[in-house]
Amino acid sequence: MKKYLTMVPLLASAAFLASVGVSFAEGKYTIGISNTVQGNGWREEMICAMKAQALASGEVTKLNIAHRNTDAAGQLEDIRNLISAKVNAIVVNPADPAGIKAGLEEATKAGIVVVAVDQAVTEPSAYIISNNQEQYAYLGAKWLFQQMGGKGEVVYMRGAAGASADSDRDKGFKKALAEFPDVKVAQEVFTGWQQDQGKQQILSFLATGAPFNGIWTSGIDNVIVDALVESQAPLVPVVGADNAGFVGQLSSVKGLVGAAVTNPGSIGGAGVTLALQILNGKKPAQQTVLVEPQLWENATEEGKAKLKAAADPSLSPEWPVSISIPDWTTYTKEQIVACKGPGE
Amino acid sequence: MTRFFRNQGWVAGLFALFVLLFVLTKLIQPGYGSGDFGSLVRAVLPYAFAVAAQTVVVIAGGIDLSVAAMMALTSVTAASMMNGASEEYALFVVPFVLAMGLVLGALNGILIVVTRVPDIVVTLATLFVLQGAALLVLGAPGGAAADWLKASIVGTLPIPGLPDSIDAWVPKALVLLVVCLCIIWIPLRRSKLGLSIYAIGSSELAAFRSGVPVARTRIIAYALSGLFAAMGGLTLTMSTGIGAPIPGPYLLASVAAVVLGGVALGGGKGGLLGPIVAVFVLRLVRTDLTLLAIDPNVTAIIEGAIMVAVVMFGAFITIRGRPAGAMP
Repeated sequence: MKKYLTMVPLLASAAFLASVGVSFAEGKYTIGISNTVQGNGWREEMICAMKAQALASGEVTKLNIAHRNTDAAGQLEDIRNLISAKVNAIVVNPADPAGIKAGLEEATKAGIVVVAVDQAVTEPSAYIISNNQEQYAYLGAKWLFQQMGGKGEVVYMRGAAGASADSDRDKGFKKALAEFPDVKVAQEVFTGWQQDQGKQQILSFLATGAPFNGIWTSGIDNVIVDALVESQAPLVPVVGADNAGFVGQLSSVKGLVGAAVTNPGSIGGAGVTLALQILNGKKPAQQTVLVEPQLWENATEEGKAKLKAAADPSLSPEWPVSISIPDWTTYTKEQIVACKGPGE
Repeated sequence: MTRFFRNQGWVAGLFALFVLLFVLTKLIQPGYGSGDFGSLVRAVLPYAFAVAAQTVVVIAGGIDLSVAAMMALTSVTAASMMNGASEEYALFVVPFVLAMGLVLGALNGILIVVTRVPDIVVTLATLFVLQGAALLVLGAPGGAAADWLKASIVGTLPIPGLPDSIDAWVPKALVLLVVCLCIIWIPLRRSKLGLSIYAIGSSELAAFRSGVPVARTRIIAYALSGLFAAMGGLTLTMSTGIGAPIPGPYLLASVAAVVLGGVALGGGKGGLLGPIVAVFVLRLVRTDLTLLAIDPNVTAIIEGAIMVAVVMFGAFITIRGRPAGAMP
């Protein structure tokens, strides 16, 4: 019977080979992508922006995407696998700024262009194109505290505990809080950037009956408004991100005062553009390019007009409405929504 | 040789699968060489220790859901202790963190033995406790690791008398893994204690009636699990140079590799070699999926499908291979 045992691997690898299908398209570069959060609307838009930009540029033969839920050590593994795959450039959304330094250094040594998007990295040879996360939180929190009249209780709904984007945003939030000494944090929770978790948390908080005058969220926003409406709680000012669902609510939900702070997931497409520019010999003047956030509120007529222009009900509610970044992305809306890369 | 294959058939099959996958990798990427193998071993390290931690308790008839959280806690503890400290200080940090894993693991065991609450509940509770404790130690990823620790898993170990071409295939990370596992596993396997761990996993009542101190053995099994998890936590800090308070995907991966490695989830059967080879197989599959640029949403399905296929096929062979009349 033992001879059958050798068939175990044979069968498994046959199944493996059968499931493999590789196709090629026009272009000259292969770009590797590494991302460590899967199933989150923002990150999915980022990946789609990368695919759409690679396709629109016409310069990319193939995208090699390592996209799964993992930690910094897992991302190191993915980056090293991309080095083994001999890609020309790696665009990475880092799990941690310092934790993947060794892998990025090895990539640069292997002659691979490294671009970090969304969050910074400590590896000096890497180029960075990122949203300014500290400013993101500061802008929204400051506006919220002003709406609250500079006093009262705020519900602080953060992102994922320990994530660097969350700790950067915390700095911005605390900076705004320091400017308004009469604003107190009524409740601080980590939503983990998960819609269901965020909704549970706000419902439990509402059930306590504790008073609150405003809600700041780290992008889990539309479900919070849903919860307030469903439980007929007072509609206090809410700050969220520019997710399609929330931007729509700011125009449609009666009596809701709120603001959306932009945090474009299309930064992924910008990262691909930057990588291609560097591959073609056009290096940016600085190692780090920061994209500054904007605030769209519905308290003024001017703000309402901006919101109206930005709203896009055709997008998934979890997707940011800023699906392109001027000067950095060249794809069409159809291309990013289709979410197809070269050769797909 | 026949006897070896009879005892180690599963492991041999897994090893053949690994070799086959390696050949496949070479076909996909002809440039895949010793440097890439070094990367593979470094990726294997935290998984291998997580699997070792899980294997010990599964053999003893239990399960440890707190493995990944324990790794996170020990990793952040090590990283925050080494932050801004001297290189020599790390010589103290390493044994401290290992002892911490041992004690916390023993605590798991004591809770199970004393409260008689099922292990799956106790370790689920400690999962949350340890996860929270990790966030108390470091609120966000950070800390540092001593340079000599980071260097100890980078590059290859020069072995005198061995030609460079072969030496290139002996990465330091592999040596570290083998030494750390053998130093604990081989003496354990040959001792009365090791036999007792297998005995309580096979049948607690039979072990008890044979005079095996069941409670003590269980506590030691969990303590060893904690020790292996602490080693895993240290390798996380060694490879990333930081500590991250959110546990990585090591819990489910450890259970998967234990099953794939031929350890019976009911306890009492299997060894450490199988699960470790299984980890290599699973990591190499991940490498191949990346090299082939498979749609990332499909990769997890393929990984899972391969696992189920191998385990089911193995079970099928085992049943068919049984001599007539041996069916229970």
